[in-house]
Amino acid sequence: MLKQDYINNIIKISSIFLFLLQFSCAQHKEREHIVVASAGKIESLDPAQANTLRTLQILSALGDTLYKLNKEGNLSPILASGLPIASKDGLIIDIPLKENISFHDGSIFNAQAMKFSLDRFMKIGTLNYLLNDKIEAIEVKDEFLLRIKLKKPSSSLKSLLTSVNLTPISPNSYSNYKDKFNNKSFIGTGPYLLENFSSNQQIIKPFKNYWGKKPLNKGIDFINYSNSSTLFGAIKAKEVDVLISNSIDDMQRLTLNNMVKKKKLNSGEGEPIEIGYITFKSNNLPLRNKTIREALSYTIDRELISRQVSFGTREPLRSIVPPQLHKKELFPWPKYDPNFARSLLKKEGYCEGNILTIPLTFRSNVPADKLLALTWKDQIKRDLSDCIKITLNGIESTTVYKQLSEGAFEAVILDWTGAYPDPEAYLNPLLSCNEIKNNTCLKGEAVFSGSFWGNNEVQELLDKSEELEGEIRLKNLIKVEQLAAKGSAYLPVWLVNPKAWSLRDISQPEFSRDGLIILKNLKRD
Amino acid sequence: MATKKELFKYTLSRLALLPIMLWIISSLVFILLRIAPGDPVDAILGTRANEFARESLRMKLGLDKPLINQYLEYINHLLHGNLGISLNTQEPVKVIISRALPASMELAIFAILIASLVGYLIGFLGAVKPEGKIDFWGRLFGIGTYALPPFWAAMLIQIIFAVLLGWLPIGGRLPPGLSPPAPFTGFLLLDSLLNNKIEIFISSFKHLILPSLTLGILLSGIFSRSLRLNLEEVLKKDYIEAAKSRGINETRLLVRHALPNTLLPILTITGLTVSSLIGGALLIEITFSWPGIALGLQEAINQRDYAVVQGIVVVISSLVVVISVVVDIAIAYIDPRVSY
Repeated sequence: MLKQDYINNIIKISSIFLFLLQFSCAQHKEREHIVVASAGKIESLDPAQANTLRTLQILSALGDTLYKLNKEGNLSPILASGLPIASKDGLIIDIPLKENISFHDGSIFNAQAMKFSLDRFMKIGTLNYLLNDKIEAIEVKDEFLLRIKLKKPSSSLKSLLTSVNLTPISPNSYSNYKDKFNNKSFIGTGPYLLENFSSNQQIIKPFKNYWGKKPLNKGIDFINYSNSSTLFGAIKAKEVDVLISNSIDDMQRLTLNNMVKKKKLNSGEGEPIEIGYITFKSNNLPLRNKTIREALSYTIDRELISRQVSFGTREPLRSIVPPQLHKKELFPWPKYDPNFARSLLKKEGYCEGNILTIPLTFRSNVPADKLLALTWKDQIKRDLSDCIKITLNGIESTTVYKQLSEGAFEAVILDWTGAYPDPEAYLNPLLSCNEIKNNTCLKGEAVFSGSFWGNNEVQELLDKSEELEGEIRLKNLIKVEQLAAKGSAYLPVWLVNPKAWSLRDISQPEFSRDGLIILKNLKRD
Repeated sequence: MATKKELFKYTLSRLALLPIMLWIISSLVFILLRIAPGDPVDAILGTRANEFARESLRMKLGLDKPLINQYLEYINHLLHGNLGISLNTQEPVKVIISRALPASMELAIFAILIASLVGYLIGFLGAVKPEGKIDFWGRLFGIGTYALPPFWAAMLIQIIFAVLLGWLPIGGRLPPGLSPPAPFTGFLLLDSLLNNKIEIFISSFKHLILPSLTLGILLSGIFSRSLRLNLEEVLKKDYIEAAKSRGINETRLLVRHALPNTLLPILTITGLTVSSLIGGALLIEITFSWPGIALGLQEAINQRDYAVVQGIVVVISSLVVVISVVVDIAIAYIDPRVSY
């Protein structure tokens, strides 16, 4: 009798459970818009203030750039009607613009609008120093011809013109925002227009009068969650259609990649734009000694670290410029060789009882950094415990950035994404220096990067490259990288590809050369 | 015995202390933020900006002035009810708080409701029949929920109910594509009803269930244990024995004689919990991407957005003081033995 009651109860509970399960299935309604999720809030849609990948991602759909880089890495006109024309002395650049293009508010895009946008960026843009160091003045030569006067010849300026931060905005709509940010609206020329903005959610819909190829979807809803687990859960629960890889933990990346293999998700991958590296402070002993820094560059087993930390999702890297930007395979930094590292350290009096202690700092709020630090520490303990000891120190990232230029860290794990897809956007921020004394940088980017490493030849080559073009310029920059590898003030570790996963009924995400998803190509099958 | 006059005097003295306390707190926050490494310029521009760009922004944000001037300006603004402008978004801090605080309060109210219903019911049933089955499982529940790490419990609930079963949304306050109604109160449930947006009301209610349930269950352990202990103690008192011997039935004994005497500690605990939740439940808000005040404060600290951090701390502190005064007054009304 009792047994019968139990069975009845189980049947009743199971029926309720099944009913609720059915109810839950019925909840997944067909969505018109495509829901794209990423981590973190978006506080401002002003291109003069945008500096996060998620903001640039939306801006790339709301606005157009003058140029973009094609698959071969060459400039290709978008709002410009032709390639930039430089004067003989390289101090004047003329940019012809396309006609019959209108902003989302109906006003006409012309050289005046482009000048307004660039002047505004140079005045209030948070990254305005990128232009202010190069540009003397911007002039309207004709209604559809823009002239840029330079302070000195600058070949990197052309790559800068592909930056989403320089997308034109309507002078009519921004007349009250000439010298202040307009955070919550955006009026540009892009394939989408902004329908609704809040810091947690942004809705965009196709712009009917768009001059170029129309979007293949009916609109995009961006949603921002605060952590990786929620984002991961959201795509598994099919609450979102596309998930962007920024801030997704490596373990969850691996699971998502496995789901792709099992054909439960689609995925797309862009060219790597983020590098992970270790900076050594070169102006104090013991790391002032170049041989010790060189020895350390032989101690890291990148393959092991990539496997252990990122399950192979981060590619081992032996250069400080993503390989595709050099247009050929290049490995200026040496391979893992603990025996050679030991011989170098012995030469400097270490090993055999004298152990070199390296305090390694990592950003405590970046999980991959912590794992990298722990793995390298253990790997050194395994291979070179008689020579090196690594001690770990976790500090929150804002504090790390602040104290970097104060020389607070002997060795610190960092990452870098170039502001535009060009080798110079990686080399200059790490290596350039305005004042060098005894191979120590006293003033310049190498101070901000925490290495304090200065080299006159590197600086000369960096300066020279601004006057060069094409292959000669690339060769020049490769030479810079080779010298940097000899200096061993940086130790490249890995390369991070931007990635996105989409549900099966959504097309495979495609990426542009600057690591952003081409949103207008997303479509629901 | 507390007279009305004494209570009034007590309330006045507590409220009079409020400005002094706020001055101490706001000054401490001001100093601590300036001592902490990193400044808003770094957070906004990154470390690569050149000195000219950094100085220009520093001037624009007023950070180039001497600290004492910045402090006096801040206190002067505070005295005039001006919480300042966000250094990061240039939005008034008042607006940022008025957007985030109702979200935290909405979550707190529902969590307290769930915690009270579940916790006090379990505690009451346990105390009525000590050492019984309900009491055993109730105590286990109390210890278990108290010991559970909130982020772990939240993630588990998220995985079960949102990912595996798909019954409820995984996070946020509204589903993608749905815009919030015009804000009257900031409370989404209330605003959607006032705007006659039933679809938004249902959606926002669904989004509220998982975070409030998680927080409610985690808090219910403390509630059940405190009620059980207090009620058990009261039930052993002489006047209860006397009432029993007079033949008063058990329900009346419990409801009329025992329960009112346990209300004092219960009210104190509930008051303290409400006060702590006003500042938001950080781990729950992060896990469920709930756009509340705690999440806002965390982001502002990361950005070194001095104005927002200072504003949030001052507002939260004021609310905590006001709530504790209200609880004190309520206790004095309930228990005339309390003296001040």
